[in-house]
Amino acid sequence: MLVDEKHLVTRLYDMVNVPTAVWINEKGRIVRPNEVAYVDNRYTGMHKLQAEEYLAAIRDWAENGDRSIYALSEKELKERLAPQNPDWARASAEFGLAEYLYKNNQGSASIKHYKEAQRLNPDNWNYKRQAWALSDAEKEYGTSFMKEVQKLDGKPYYPPRRLPEPKKKN
Amino acid sequence: MKKAFLIGALLLIAASNAFAGNRTVIFDNTATEVAAAPAALATGEDLWVTLADLTKATKFVLKPQGVCRDELCFPIPKARKSAFLSAQGKVTWFNLSEFARLTKQPTAYDAEHLTWFFGPRPEEQNQFVSSLIAPNFRLPDANGKMRSLQEFRGKKVLLLTWASW
Repeated sequence: MLVDEKHLVTRLYDMVNVPTAVWINEKGRIVRPNEVAYVDNRYTGMHKLQAEEYLAAIRDWAENGDRSIYALSEKELKERLAPQNPDWARASAEFGLAEYLYKNNQGSASIKHYKEAQRLNPDNWNYKRQAWALSDAEKEYGTSFMKEVQKLDGKPYYPPRRLPEPKKKN
Repeated sequence: MKKAFLIGALLLIAASNAFAGNRTVIFDNTATEVAAAPAALATGEDLWVTLADLTKATKFVLKPQGVCRDELCFPIPKARKSAFLSAQGKVTWFNLSEFARLTKQPTAYDAEHLTWFFGPRPEEQNQFVSSLIAPNFRLPDANGKMRSLQEFRGKKVLLLTWASW
């Protein structure tokens, strides 16, 4: 387990929620980019995802490596990965500034920068949840995690994983 | 008890000093205090720094061919040289905000605390999108020992992130 106080990994890989996983092969190449990565079913009621299919995919990859049907080819990866758009880049800077101010005892000053990060990248739950966790969310942001989840109104909380169908055993 | 209070008080003083007088630049995730620019340059949101502070905060150096760090060099557009450089008395000042616009580096600014955050340039941030190589990082483990992704080359890595919210 590594401790990432500066949110470095989420910034480097453009992650927007937790739990998120990336699969990396022996050569250091990404073979599955960011995707929701529950390995148990404790929050299934909320997100409707089953851990078993993901765990089976990990096991298949561990056994078969790049030959696994779950390891994406370079062509497939390039179709899924996109450069960070300028608003997201600015959001990342605003979030970094907010974090710096908060850690230097300027919590009230950090709020407008957390808000700007959320405005520029509204799909980033990490920005929202970090800000709410460091403040009175109702008072400072007029919301809460559960209220925001309810606002999704049936839209999935996580983008779908797009795992291929497993091969049937004979 | 007294000792604990003293340590607490010292931490409070140290925290408040982070914003006293000078400007704070956060570049490559590292915060550096830099000197305040003369009044003629300290207008608006742009951050002017001395050439010494430029190098201290960013490791970039002004050279005849441009603003450089290791093999990387960004030429200063001749027609807009005055937007980047200004001689004030014996000191030459460099507009780090203009440089960020030139290199398309995202920035954020807090006027109250005179703090500027400079994020990674797009080609740094997006390198993995074309190379597909997982960006390396170094972070402490639970015992404080620094570990890097690079150490695991030769093995499969499931990089799984969680948060404690």
